[in-house]
Amino acid sequence: MKGRHYIGLLALLLAGLTLSQGSPFQQRLQQAIQSGGSKFAEAMKQDPDQALCSQYRDKIPAALVGAFLERQRALIKYPADGKLMGDWKQGEALFTNPRKGNCYACHTGDPKEPGAGTMGPGLVNYGQRGTSEAVVKYTYDKIYNAWASMPCSLMYRAGYHGILTPEETAHVTAFLLDPASPVNAKR
Amino acid sequence: MGRFWRLAGVILLALVGLLALAQEEVDPFEEAQKQKQQLLELSGGILPTDLIAAQGEELFKAKRGPKNASLEACDFGRGPGRLEGVVGRLPRYFFDTRKVEDLDSRIRSCMINLQGLRPDQIRRNEVVAIAFYIASLSNGQPMTVRPLMPQEKRLYELGEKLFYLRAGPRDMGCASCHVTYVGRRAGVLPYSDILGDKRVASHWPAFRYSNDQAWTMADRIRACYSNLSMPAPDFYSEPIIALTLFMNAKAYGGKMDLPGFIR
Repeated sequence: MKGRHYIGLLALLLAGLTLSQGSPFQQRLQQAIQSGGSKFAEAMKQDPDQALCSQYRDKIPAALVGAFLERQRALIKYPADGKLMGDWKQGEALFTNPRKGNCYACHTGDPKEPGAGTMGPGLVNYGQRGTSEAVVKYTYDKIYNAWASMPCSLMYRAGYHGILTPEETAHVTAFLLDPASPVNAKR
Repeated sequence: MGRFWRLAGVILLALVGLLALAQEEVDPFEEAQKQKQQLLELSGGILPTDLIAAQGEELFKAKRGPKNASLEACDFGRGPGRLEGVVGRLPRYFFDTRKVEDLDSRIRSCMINLQGLRPDQIRRNEVVAIAFYIASLSNGQPMTVRPLMPQEKRLYELGEKLFYLRAGPRDMGCASCHVTYVGRRAGVLPYSDILGDKRVASHWPAFRYSNDQAWTMADRIRACYSNLSMPAPDFYSEPIIALTLFMNAKAYGGKMDLPGFIR
């Protein structure tokens, strides 16, 4: 009996040791990434959910979805004044700035803006949903952290990565929802 | 006018409209071919790639470096001095350096080992020109990269992993655009179907006519990371060789179009 306990304990220790060191494949992967240079290696460090999305190639098992969404929802921050709809004009600039939102690389916003991409759904007339509290919050949350509503969505997490501040997220929300925004102009 | 003619007119208009719609999304390969023809006619039969390859040939055959040697004894996998078709066989494992090397890093290794140059003396534009010269001797040959050596298999696995790895401030990786969203556009540019269309990996190194650049696959990979707001991996580093090995092996059997001529 006692011997078996020892073997069990030893197995547990060994398992712990292997896990803490990562698999040989993981080690080789890390070495390879390191050889690309320190800045590259730094940028390639994944957070746990980026790692999950990579591991399952964007289709994570149903059993993991609930906890994934909960973790992502917890990352959303809101403006201090609680206003989720800001200034649509500032939002427009953030929407088209490649260094900031860069939203138009994938979504049409103002249909007059040339060169919009087609990776994401078109957003012309997005404001027809109205500006109820629920719609505003859904839109804000989606922009701040797209993975809080759809795990491993292609859409990057602008607020979580600090590319948009909560206030800036509110401006982009307004660009999509404000009836005065060109997104919602009468055509 | 009779009803028939009105109807015929409407149908004709609809057909013309459809044709125009169909032409709006141009096939990048056809478009590049057209541009190449235009350039050939304008220049009297000389392409920028010919000039780069000629410059590369000169560099390849010149006696240079502390050892005053040319690169003609460099072994690209078919034995010293045999250059035909080698691009379609790279990256591969080399016993002398005990590394898996792609075209760029093999050229660099030979500059170091045969010519005695120090790594910091190796100029990137020279490596690119030599790569274009060697590529010009692989045109029309098949892509035959198949990871068989354990070192090649390991690097292939790493390349696959890196290809699907999402990271950085835009939460993206190679596969996000080149697999999941193939057929869509970011901005005005369509994505190449890297794993589905063997022509894509089979046209590097290539000249990009839209911005007058001579690029090898390494430049392409580095630019992709920059587009994802990430610092690019160093030239000649493992991530680049691993990704190239993965993509080239996936293009097994493709016909090399070299040096490539692309947007």
